[in-house]
Amino acid sequence: MATITINGDAYTLPEGEKLNAIQAAKLCGVEIPYYCWHPALSVVANCRMCEIEVGAKDPATGEIKMVPKLVPGCQTLAKDGVVIVTDSAKVQEHQRMIMEYLLLNHPLDCPVCDQAGECGLQDYSYHFGQATHRFVEERTVNPRKDVSDAIQLNQDRCIMCTRCVRFTREITHTGELHVMNRGNHAEIDVFPGVPVDNPLAGNVVDLCPVGALLDKDFLHTQRVWFLSKHESICTRCATGCNVSAEENRGSLWRFKPRHNPHVNDYWICDEGRASYKEANNPALLASMYVKKAGTPEPVAVDQAVAATERGLKDVVARGGAVAGVLSPFLTVEEAYLMARYLKSLSPQAVLALGPVPVSGGDQTFAPDKTTGRTGDTSFVVPRPFTIRGEKCPNRIGVSEVLAHFEGEVIGWESLLARVQKGEFAALYVASDALDPAFDEVAAGAIRPRVGFLVVQDTHATPLAQVADVVLAGATFAEKAGSYVNADRRLQYAEAALPPRDGSLPDLDLFAILLARGAGPVRSREVLAEVAEAIPAFGVARGGVVPPFGVVIATTPREGADAGGAAVGGPAVAESGSRFSDPWTTVWRDHGGRKRI
Amino acid sequence: MNANHPDLKRMTPPKLSLGDRLYVPQVIAGLAVTARHMAGVVFGDSAITVQYPEDQHIPSPNYRGVHRLNKDESGRVKCVACMLCSTACPAHCIDIVGTTAPETELWGDREKYPASFVIDELRCIFCGMCEEACPVEAIELTGLYDLTGLSREQMIFDKTKLLSVFDLTKDAEPMRYGSPPSRPTSSTELVRDSI
Ligand code: SF4
Ligand code: SF4
Ligand code: SF4
Ligand code: SF4
Ligand code: FES
Repeated sequence: MATITINGDAYTLPEGEKLNAIQAAKLCGVEIPYYCWHPALSVVANCRMCEIEVGAKDPATGEIKMVPKLVPGCQTLAKDGVVIVTDSAKVQEHQRMIMEYLLLNHPLDCPVCDQAGECGLQDYSYHFGQATHRFVEERTVNPRKDVSDAIQLNQDRCIMCTRCVRFTREITHTGELHVMNRGNHAEIDVFPGVPVDNPLAGNVVDLCPVGALLDKDFLHTQRVWFLSKHESICTRCATGCNVSAEENRGSLWRFKPRHNPHVNDYWICDEGRASYKEANNPALLASMYVKKAGTPEPVAVDQAVAATERGLKDVVARGGAVAGVLSPFLTVEEAYLMARYLKSLSPQAVLALGPVPVSGGDQTFAPDKTTGRTGDTSFVVPRPFTIRGEKCPNRIGVSEVLAHFEGEVIGWESLLARVQKGEFAALYVASDALDPAFDEVAAGAIRPRVGFLVVQDTHATPLAQVADVVLAGATFAEKAGSYVNADRRLQYAEAALPPRDGSLPDLDLFAILLARGAGPVRSREVLAEVAEAIPAFGVARGGVVPPFGVVIATTPREGADAGGAAVGGPAVAESGSRFSDPWTTVWRDHGGRKRI
Repeated sequence: MNANHPDLKRMTPPKLSLGDRLYVPQVIAGLAVTARHMAGVVFGDSAITVQYPEDQHIPSPNYRGVHRLNKDESGRVKCVACMLCSTACPAHCIDIVGTTAPETELWGDREKYPASFVIDELRCIFCGMCEEACPVEAIELTGLYDLTGLSREQMIFDKTKLLSVFDLTKDAEPMRYGSPPSRPTSSTELVRDSI
């Protein structure tokens, strides 16, 4: 057990993790400011912001010997007997000096800089810097330039921490960015004709502690303090990256990655990053429809729900067969309530998995301890990042629900074949797919064969256009619930937006159909029911999903499984804290100002 | 806090003299003040009220009336769309849509400007917080106090209108910081030239 001394107090560090002084101090509630260090990147110790006084305690005599000079905390191993001082006059004077030095040529751009509000320079200036600026020479002016179609570089704001350079070398192994020139003239740049356009490129914007690298999609649209951050899960592929969905005035403005060592580490892919836009799509269904005299007419929510119920009950009363299609975009809770509803209508109802969109194969970025690394990698735990070819968030979760109700998982193709044989008098399709899932061909194949067709979706797909009842469901941003990713990890996503006018979240629709009553349905309560009912989900007992998610059981069995290692990654304590740079901390309490 | 709290200070009312208790001398002293003012208005020129609207009232220099959006030397809106004013505004009445400045000669040195800048003057409480928050002295409250309109919509001032308030008031009230535009043009031209 390692005992270290920070500012005169002794602390005991947890076993098994190799920590540097910054991490160890953070665990003990002491902040050491830093810029260039990042837990996934090698240590280069070039910003010198983290310098502290370091010494060692002689275990025999108890005598403390300090290193005469200041030492970078990012490079100091927090091992037994280490003594660090972070608040002495010497350290504070050094921090003031570094801040002044970093800001020598820095433009006074904060009013127009997108980083303002989550900027390392602003925060550390306030806490560790000084109010005066003694540099009277002309400041170096570097024009802004594009390093790719999606990323802009405002070079005069850069502090040369090289986090972005190390990312492209060490994580993606693409190496597009480099430092050009030296000293005062040093610049970040790309080689001519080689833009930063790898599939993870957007992460350099998140890594940049200042406003030098900017996402052109977000550029100059919002101020970050207006955004309320919601802990969400990306639904673009089966990896299920943890994201913060950031909302203001009823729209999403961006996705930022949230750290999850088992899933996405610190990153998200660019395709996922851009998928937030679907929540703001003006083409989303804005009303429910019921077909009257051959044409769909917009109706109020309650009328559409009543029409669904009436239609399905009629079919069952006449002895017709009912089938339900549960898309892999539904949450576990929604799938469970939908399955229960259809089975309560008619125990013979057939439930099938909706179309599973696949595009290309899996693409894995597998950083290791050596490739592309230049600095000290002893603190780095390399974890792979995979972009899945399966472009939906919850195939496994919905399949587990289906297997529980049906005993097997009926695929979309085989259900379609049975539909075309005219086996079903009523079909209830719940989709919510990110990209419209049903085309004219599917609509032409299904419609003539089904007497009563209900489509619940977010888009007016060709299938929805021919349906008897269209229920406007929720986008990923409007629903709360859990998804099971490709590694069988159950993760919970919060809703980031209220339901659109004219729509209702799918969970509420199913709850109304099931006549659950007693106020709005809560996804946590439904998840608790699922955990009771389906052994595979037993790990979510009480509707509780740990912050990093939990792996669901493969074979139906009782009892909790406390996580375990993600496929391909070393185990990390489930209690581990979420990493985020201090200047990008999610301020839940401030939570963006609500405007009337 | 109870009645014996140590922080409570006990006050004794001053003792009233006989004159105070009779009231009559006090009433006469009050009437004397009124009479002095009446005499001042009738025989002198000491009236505090003005014959509005024939006479215009000139408010004090720090009066907080209708907003204006200042322009820089090239006639561009000074505002950089930082949204600090709308952050500071307690009435939530400022709505700004920022956008990247075009890479033209006129705008080349600018990064961002407001594509739209709207103040709901009906919701505004004229506190002046926006003026205080602005890092580039782009928004100022003028001495215009006769804010009227025929509909609610007319009272929602957009960028053009706010810039025209600047043209209307720039001579009477020069910008508190920085210099007013060097080109003396008619207000309509300035409004048309700016974005
Ligand atoms: S990088 Fe930070 S300090 Fe620099 S202009 Fe942007 S917000 Fe201000
Ligand atoms: S662009 Fe940002 S991340 Fe890259 S070196 Fe400069 S400050 Fe660091
Ligand atoms: S004067 Fe006060 S209320 Fe009016 S716009 Fe400015 S900050 Fe808002
Ligand atoms: S008026 Fe001033 S404070 Fe308001 S957005 Fe413009 S520059 Fe910022
Ligand atoms: S974080 Fe240690 S030197 Fe930069």
